[in-house]
Amino acid sequence: MIISEKIPSQLDLIPDFIHNFMEKIKVLSLGHDEIFDIKLSLEEALVNAIKHGNKMNLNQVVEFQADITDSQLVIKVTNAGPGFDFTSIPNPTEKDRLEKTSGRGIFLIKKLMDKVEFSDCGRTIKMVKFFRKGDKSEHNPRESF
Amino acid sequence: MNITQEKVFDVAACVLEGEVNINTSPELRKTCDILMKNGEKKVLIDLSGVTYIDSSGLATLIEMFQRLKKIGGKLRLSSMNEKVKNVFEITKLYKLFEVFDTREAALRDF
Repeated sequence: MIISEKIPSQLDLIPDFIHNFMEKIKVLSLGHDEIFDIKLSLEEALVNAIKHGNKMNLNQVVEFQADITDSQLVIKVTNAGPGFDFTSIPNPTEKDRLEKTSGRGIFLIKKLMDKVEFSDCGRTIKMVKFFRKGDKSEHNPRESF
Repeated sequence: MNITQEKVFDVAACVLEGEVNINTSPELRKTCDILMKNGEKKVLIDLSGVTYIDSSGLATLIEMFQRLKKIGGKLRLSSMNEKVKNVFEITKLYKLFEVFDTREAALRDF
């Protein structure tokens, strides 16, 4: 199943958008942990795209695409901004950054999703979640990356 | 998100319920404004009813921590569920905040 949508650059629309998306993937019978991880990662990616990518410009949209199979979910979020240097993202857990009130979104996404890639000068983030089914020790896709 | 405030001796206890996200974080910030205006210096945030928190929620709690620190106040967090606790562990924010398993333990620490 592929879902593609264009989202206006309005932060207040994000929770409803995510709620509707999570309803659509309910058929996958995901675990509580996977649902939490996907939801949080998606919210962080959309907030970044609207706030930092599109700079809240209402004339620009965020492109969302989800490719869902039985074994994985691939989400792509693309903004219309100038891009950013995704190779030098500061670590928010460093002592001198702990009190910062921003800069945790991508860090959380990288921790909660199984694979994260940037492309198009940082305008597109691709996040992958592999679904755990049966005994995790039989096949752990995390080990492939 | 629903926020219930009560006074336990000299501690302002706020019980949060629901999701702390990009839409509800401003409500938490507003609560902080009220607490500061009322001169509260000991604040407990009971997260037992919180099912989800994002980076905007974390940022709002950090702001609250900073504002209280500035006036010599104290902020304590308690009763997180496992997923919320995991977010604090991933971000290492448990090093910044005083986090307690129960509300009673947090209250005793003030």
